[in-house]
Amino acid sequence: MSELVEAADLALLANGFEAAMAEAPDPGEADQALYDLGWADLLDAAPTQGAAIAFSALGKTNSAASLLDDVVAHALGMDISLALCVVFPAPHQTIPPACRHGNAVVVDGLVSARVESAATAVLASEAEGSVGLATIDATLLQGSAAGGVDPGGAFRRVTAEIPADAISLMANQGTWDSAVAAAQVALAHQLLGEARWMLAEARQHAIDRVQFGRAVASFQAIRHKLAESLVLIEGAESVAQGCLHDPDPLLAALAKSLAGQAALTTATHAQQVLAGIGFTAEHQFHRWMKRTLVIDTLFGSAGSLPIEIGNKLLSQDSAPRLIQL
Amino acid sequence: MDPETFRRDLEAWLDANDEELSPPYEGAGSMDEQIAHYSLVKRALYDSGFGRYGWPESVNGLGGSPLLRAIVGEEINLRGLADPSPWTMIEVLAPTVIDFARPEIAARLVPPFIRGDEMWCQGFSEPDAGSDLASISCRADKTDGGWAVSGQKIWTSFIQYARRCVLLVRTGEPGSAHRGITALLVDVDSPGVSYSPIETMHGRHDFAEVHYDEVFVPDERLIGEENGGWQVAMDILPYERSTTFWHRGALLHRRFSDLVAQVAASGDRSDTAARALGQAFQSLVAFRSRSRDTQHRLAGGQQLGVETSIDKILITSAELDLFKAVRDLLGGVVEFDDDLAAAMWRTDYLYSKAAPIYGGTAEIQRNIVARRLLDLGPES
Ligand SMILES: Cc1cc2nc3c(=O)[nH]c(=O)nc-3n(C[C@H](O)[C@H](O)[C@H](O)COP(=O)(O)OP(=O)(O)OC[C@H]3O[C@@H](n4cnc5c(N)ncnc54)[C@H](O)[C@@H]3O)c2cc1C
Repeated sequence: MSELVEAADLALLANGFEAAMAEAPDPGEADQALYDLGWADLLDAAPTQGAAIAFSALGKTNSAASLLDDVVAHALGMDISLALCVVFPAPHQTIPPACRHGNAVVVDGLVSARVESAATAVLASEAEGSVGLATIDATLLQGSAAGGVDPGGAFRRVTAEIPADAISLMANQGTWDSAVAAAQVALAHQLLGEARWMLAEARQHAIDRVQFGRAVASFQAIRHKLAESLVLIEGAESVAQGCLHDPDPLLAALAKSLAGQAALTTATHAQQVLAGIGFTAEHQFHRWMKRTLVIDTLFGSAGSLPIEIGNKLLSQDSAPRLIQL
Repeated sequence: MDPETFRRDLEAWLDANDEELSPPYEGAGSMDEQIAHYSLVKRALYDSGFGRYGWPESVNGLGGSPLLRAIVGEEINLRGLADPSPWTMIEVLAPTVIDFARPEIAARLVPPFIRGDEMWCQGFSEPDAGSDLASISCRADKTDGGWAVSGQKIWTSFIQYARRCVLLVRTGEPGSAHRGITALLVDVDSPGVSYSPIETMHGRHDFAEVHYDEVFVPDERLIGEENGGWQVAMDILPYERSTTFWHRGALLHRRFSDLVAQVAASGDRSDTAARALGQAFQSLVAFRSRSRDTQHRLAGGQQLGVETSIDKILITSAELDLFKAVRDLLGGVVEFDDDLAAAMWRTDYLYSKAAPIYGGTAEIQRNIVARRLLDLGPES
């Protein structure tokens, strides 16, 4: 993995990405704008670093750009393009979204908005403990409108039974595990971007809002909720940044789980600080909060990942020393 | 010296000297046994040179990055060779004494401390001044050639083993708060110092109540400026939260790994067990990752400050989550069992309850994060 991009260039790209995302609310337009800014080259040159800046911009702006398709396809060794989408695991899962049953493949997974415009979908399926990769015609998965709690986020659930003759098997290049890890690290950055936005919003509200003749930010109960959010965010951020130097899949799972926990806790605390106004559709908060719920479920959640991580440790009889000085 | 080479050399040396360095007692040992063995390990490290790296030449160190000190403590704790608590005092007090004491005093007094020949203690808290440290009232008045100290301290850890004490005293008017505090380096065997150990709830005499009655402290033992003690105390805090935390994190890692092995051996493969282990590991990794960043900032010459409150909150969570998992998964071990391993789990479980209290309580840390890092303005 070559991570070659200079810090100054990254900062510039990050600003460009954020601006493009803020200007293009439609997922298709946002994807196109990011491709125009060189997202594909960046992902090639510096996959982890590039995904980190792009996904934290996704989180901060709450954009629905479908960059996760690119991160996973790239980690699976494919040439990425706007014509290619990926079927992601079912909510809270990290296992492939499909199972081979005789001649057919049964799909239960999630797709992004890109499925509607893509020509081809990448589908990973599991049989007898091994993961096979295939491509299918994306039209087989189209037509299910994005609904759910966060229609703006444009992730949707797909269930389908695909006949064997519609599947083109492909030679495995990247492994499923490395694709899961790449997705988890990217999504961790997105969740932390969501969390930082929610914390900033709640902080400003606490300073501006006056009750009992003083800013609510002066009440210790409010201060400690915001402080706890920051602590969780910083702890998770450090692990997510650490993934840049260490491709260990266990560290990636930890980063995603910690970021999910940080973002969910921040959402709860921020909503309490915002109180009534934070419960309205009028205030923007609910968009970030709902996106957090959705992103948390992708590639294992703060609820499911600790179980996976614990089982992995139990199968090894000990805990690896992951973080080295 | 490159940290990786240093670690490899150290590991080889520890392997070769394993027998001599392993505790001679079974289980946790008594406090006397622990302290005696701690001194032996410290001296062996110093004499081999490993224990002198990361300390400046002015105190007889061999120089190099403070990362090297973090590595020594990490390896010792991963192997369980010495109890980390007395060691903590070195990492907490020595860097600040080197920065603020008169150079000839530091050069003379610090080497036996870092060699493990003697221990020091920290006299900050008082019966009426815990979290509100700026309200201490133990006084020092100017006398001929020095100071006369009178008053009371409490929770002074390890004073019964200590040769010297870094003491905060009031030198300004009563009510002068942080402006009227001075730091002194006091000999514990000075006439007028008396103490009575206090038993902790985990059955040890970790700390004591201490009385100072007209104790003479010579001028040369001033640390920093007269009435500049607050700055000294504030300088100590980030040290307390860098190297020592890395050491303690290594101990927590070893205990966590012990827990995983014990649960795996019991055959418990329930989701409940896996989740508790996963969550404890997650807290530990978040702390270690943050602390690694902090060690590198310190090694890079950056001034550490209030942001280390985050490290403190993270290590506290890691410790509490780990020992909660111990109690939940090793059914009854904390409450009932009496074999050596159970006694160690019980002691460690109980000691974890001190983590949100010492070194600035959990609430005080959150106050600092809110005020200084989130800039929320004053509290009401
Ligand atoms: C194992 C152990 C070892 C120790 N070793 C030493 C040592 O070697 N030297 C030394 O000097 N001291 C030592 N201490 C003392 C330690 O630093 C104090 O216990 C600590 O600072 C808290 O003071 P306190 O116990 O008086 O609690 P208090 O300050 O009385 O606090 C009581 C409760 O009120 C809360 N509180 C207080 N102020 C606020 C506020 N502004 N906002 C919100 N909540 C608040 C606290 O968080 C706490 O929950 C040790 C303590 C322990 C447990």
